Amino acid sequence: MRREDSSSGDRQVGFAIIPPLQVQTFTDIVRYRFVLENLVAKNLKALYRNMALGFFWSILNPLVMAVVLTAVQLKFFGQQAWWPSTFLCALIPYNFFAYCVSGCANSVIGNASLVTKVRFPRQILPIAVIVTNLVHFAIQSTLVVAALLWFPPPHDVVGWHFLWLPVIVALNLALAVGLGLLVAGANVVYRDVQYIVDSVMTVLFWLCPLVYDAGPVLANSPRWQFWLYFLNPLSGLLDSYRAVLFWGRAPDLGVLALATVVIALLGVAGVRSFWKHEHRFADLI
Amino acid sequence: MTIAIRFEDVGKRFVVQHQRPFLARELLRSVLQRPSHRQEFWALRNVSFSIEAGESVAILGTNGSGKSTTLALIAQTTPPTEGTITVNGRLGPLLELGAGFHPDLSGYENIYLNASLLGLTRRQVDALLGSIVEYSGIGDFIDAPIQTYSTGMKARLGFAVVAHIDPDILLLDEVLSVGDGQFAQKCEATIRGFQKAGKTLCFVSHNPSQVLALCQRAIWLHGGRVQAIGPAAEVCAGYQRFLDGGALA
Ligand SMILES: Nc1ncnc2c1ncn2[C@@H]1O[C@H](COP(=O)(O)OP(=O)(O)O)[C@@H](O)[C@H]1O
Ligand SMILES: [Mg+2]
Repeated sequence: MRREDSSSGDRQVGFAIIPPLQVQTFTDIVRYRFVLENLVAKNLKALYRNMALGFFWSILNPLVMAVVLTAVQLKFFGQQAWWPSTFLCALIPYNFFAYCVSGCANSVIGNASLVTKVRFPRQILPIAVIVTNLVHFAIQSTLVVAALLWFPPPHDVVGWHFLWLPVIVALNLALAVGLGLLVAGANVVYRDVQYIVDSVMTVLFWLCPLVYDAGPVLANSPRWQFWLYFLNPLSGLLDSYRAVLFWGRAPDLGVLALATVVIALLGVAGVRSFWKHEHRFADLI
Repeated sequence: MTIAIRFEDVGKRFVVQHQRPFLARELLRSVLQRPSHRQEFWALRNVSFSIEAGESVAILGTNGSGKSTTLALIAQTTPPTEGTITVNGRLGPLLELGAGFHPDLSGYENIYLNASLLGLTRRQVDALLGSIVEYSGIGDFIDAPIQTYSTGMKARLGFAVVAHIDPDILLLDEVLSVGDGQFAQKCEATIRGFQKAGKTLCFVSHNPSQVLALCQRAIWLHGGRVQAIGPAAEVCAGYQRFLDGGALA
């Protein structure tokens, strides 16, 4: 066997005692960041091979969706010319959420050949999906900017309320991680979770304020319906994105607070269920 | 002497599922209060042994006797149901059929992925890459997706990676039997190098001559229990007698 005597200096990677299975925290992600890198590179293969083509593939789906729905909305529903802007403000975050959750559901099963052969912190798998989709999210965000410039909103949008954007994105990310971990673990135990997730995503597309604005729709309904509607945290987030990016105002704080609470609860459920079952994944796959 | 691997009264119970559970069906079942068809099965029970650092130990047994389960427990891909397992040292696991490769990735990309899973950094893999590729003898296929590889080719690549990560404990599950003779010889030479360097070897093999050539001790598992443990020659002879139709001692 070949020995790299020269490189023996940086061979401190070995751990004297492999930590027991219980010791699973997010610090593992730091130690296993090269694994994360490799998994993300695998997911972003197209982008790595050819930057321009990868960029194109990433925006193709939302672009087609926006073009088709815009044509329908303008032609049959007499929407304003800025409709594509309002739509894309919500579609891109929705896409990020949907791709994350759907991808996470398959993340452990889809890497069965790794899970059954090597001990490594399993949360790396859904996290790799999330990181991959963050890259797509960033790329697709250019569509939002382009739309806002091309089909400008009826009034000025730039202002201090833009500071809400990082908060909303952070909440969006937290929602994706929490729900992602929840479905990633659940799909190992129950194989139909993937199908359920995919169906729910389609339902959410119509249930959340994407093709319509929540404000006018809920304006004349009782208060409890308003809160029931925004119990779905994705509705609250998409409404907030649109408030900030398109209407040029701060989001509805009540809505955002409710979304934050639900996201926190989902996050706790996701992390706890994943941790509870992750040691059994190799047996169940 | 320091202990490399110790099993104390270890048991591993699997839940045998004849059908993959579906959430919809399980919910319906709990509503209708029907019992689910779950069967429990002890793949290992009351298994105790210890392997000292620097020792080479073979695990023998018929199919389904729990050999792969034992190695998976050492590699910590699965937790024991009862008992305690102690592992001291950096592991080089090569569990049955494949080494933690992703079928869609090329051999080259899988070297990076697998080595990173085993704890190497990018710089370390960069430095070892040429040597790993050369050792594996995969040649031009290194750029082809792993799913096009034969079992033997996957074993070659897996062994090449594991051999280069410089583990303290090498776990091999029927790896030497899938490669061709030429590669088996190369592996044996590497393993001898390991042994000289004071590393621990734990391997599953069905080849008695290989066991006798490489190991001082052997563990014979039968039906998830330790049937015999001791000097390789004795255990091998007993196992061989059993295979030839003899009764269990
Ligand atoms: N994930 C699993 N779920 C249920 N049963 C399993 C699982 N893995 C192994 N078994 C059972 O455990 C027993 C021992 O398996 P194994 O350790 O692979 O045997 P072998 O000695 O041939 O390597 C077998 O009967 C097998 O069916
Ligand atoms: Mg086996």
